Amino acid sequence: MIVASALLAYAALLAALGPSVVRRARWVEQAPRLGIAAWQALSAAFVVSLVLGGLALSVPDLRLGTGLAELLRACLAAVRAQYATPGGAVIGASGAALAALVLLRCGWRMAATLLRAVAERRRHRQVLRLLGSRLHASGAVLIDHAVPAAYCLPGIRRQVVLTTGALDALSERQLQAVLAHERAHLRGRHDLVAAAALALSSAFPGLALFRAVSEETVRLLELVADDAAARSTHRLVAAEAMLNVAGQPEPAGAFAAGGTGTGRRIQRLIAGVPPLGRVPTALAGGAAAALLALPLGVFAGPAAALVDTACCVDGTMAISHAEVCEAMPTTRECLTR
Amino acid sequence: MPRFGELEAAIMRAVWASPTPVRVRDVLEALRKERDVAFTTVQTVMEILFRKDWLDRAKQGRAYVYWATASQEDYATALVEEALESAPDQAAVLSRLVERMPDDERAGLRAALDEAKNREGLT
Repeated sequence: MIVASALLAYAALLAALGPSVVRRARWVEQAPRLGIAAWQALSAAFVVSLVLGGLALSVPDLRLGTGLAELLRACLAAVRAQYATPGGAVIGASGAALAALVLLRCGWRMAATLLRAVAERRRHRQVLRLLGSRLHASGAVLIDHAVPAAYCLPGIRRQVVLTTGALDALSERQLQAVLAHERAHLRGRHDLVAAAALALSSAFPGLALFRAVSEETVRLLELVADDAAARSTHRLVAAEAMLNVAGQPEPAGAFAAGGTGTGRRIQRLIAGVPPLGRVPTALAGGAAAALLALPLGVFAGPAAALVDTACCVDGTMAISHAEVCEAMPTTRECLTR
Repeated sequence: MPRFGELEAAIMRAVWASPTPVRVRDVLEALRKERDVAFTTVQTVMEILFRKDWLDRAKQGRAYVYWATASQEDYATALVEEALESAPDQAAVLSRLVERMPDDERAGLRAALDEAKNREGLT
């Protein structure tokens, strides 16, 4: 029960403190890639704690620092003890149900998100092909359209798409920056990173943690691509390219009110941010790793011992009740007799 | 044997190029300038395009005449709109370079950019 409580309390702590940590972190501007990895570790830590916490509830008396020999001898009696009492059986069953539910829900949302993305991209590609799309010298597909736009279709048949309006609005170097931005998305499979974050957010609709993580992940992925564009040319060239593409008056339909993430991205390029120093990088990376290592460590010690006992159940059959009580005096069965 | 998708695109191009509704025979004639393709193949693909709602048709005499349900420009506009307007939860589908910005924000950024370019000797 102690392990289970610790894991579930940890998950609750992450859910409570995570959103403000994610939204307030400033260092991610200087190291967007590390930022994405850190928020992924945070998300994984939450899911892992829930699942392992559930599993810990479903097996009896998983305790911190339990010795192998003790567990080996007590296992059978302990299982019998937990499921013999109605309360114990309910806790055990609901723990297992929690673990299964969380895993199934995450897996299902992940699959649904990916399948939908694949279907929508296929449809988009079909129309693109139907338009008899021409190829630009860069390998990008050209659409005859006056509104400047540049985007990419990720996937196995990945494709950068440009409108003729974008070609008109961009100089050669600016176009190079735009292409570098889109190719960074495609090369890094940013669609999968975004899909995973969005799937988690839809698997736990009410949870502020995953909403914050998915919004920040989508934003940071753009920063990663912006940095690639800046590296391929110059940060001011990349900034001007983005201004030129975003700079055309919209013919129909307004942008989302206040949704000027693009403005902040351009500002960031104009100002220029130095890469994160070695010490802060190590600190952030270490903290992210620790977030995830903690629940795994808490569970792994006692669980490893328990798995061992499951492999040698035949030996435990011969152990008498007195021996079990001697080895593990806290077992409920012993207390009730 | 051309790839099926290419044939679809070629047929749509032929239909769009014609100012009036076309028969399968007319499309076949246009396609034969570039490729060797059988009448029945074109007929089948045009029926598929009709079922996909890209073509509409009406009986005229013993044959169908076909026309496009939307112009090439309409399709292009729809694609670009989709790319520009995609909601954040569609980020996994495709990724656009930028969102639209209000005029004043754009002007402010342009001024900041020009200043930075001057400062760094970039013109």
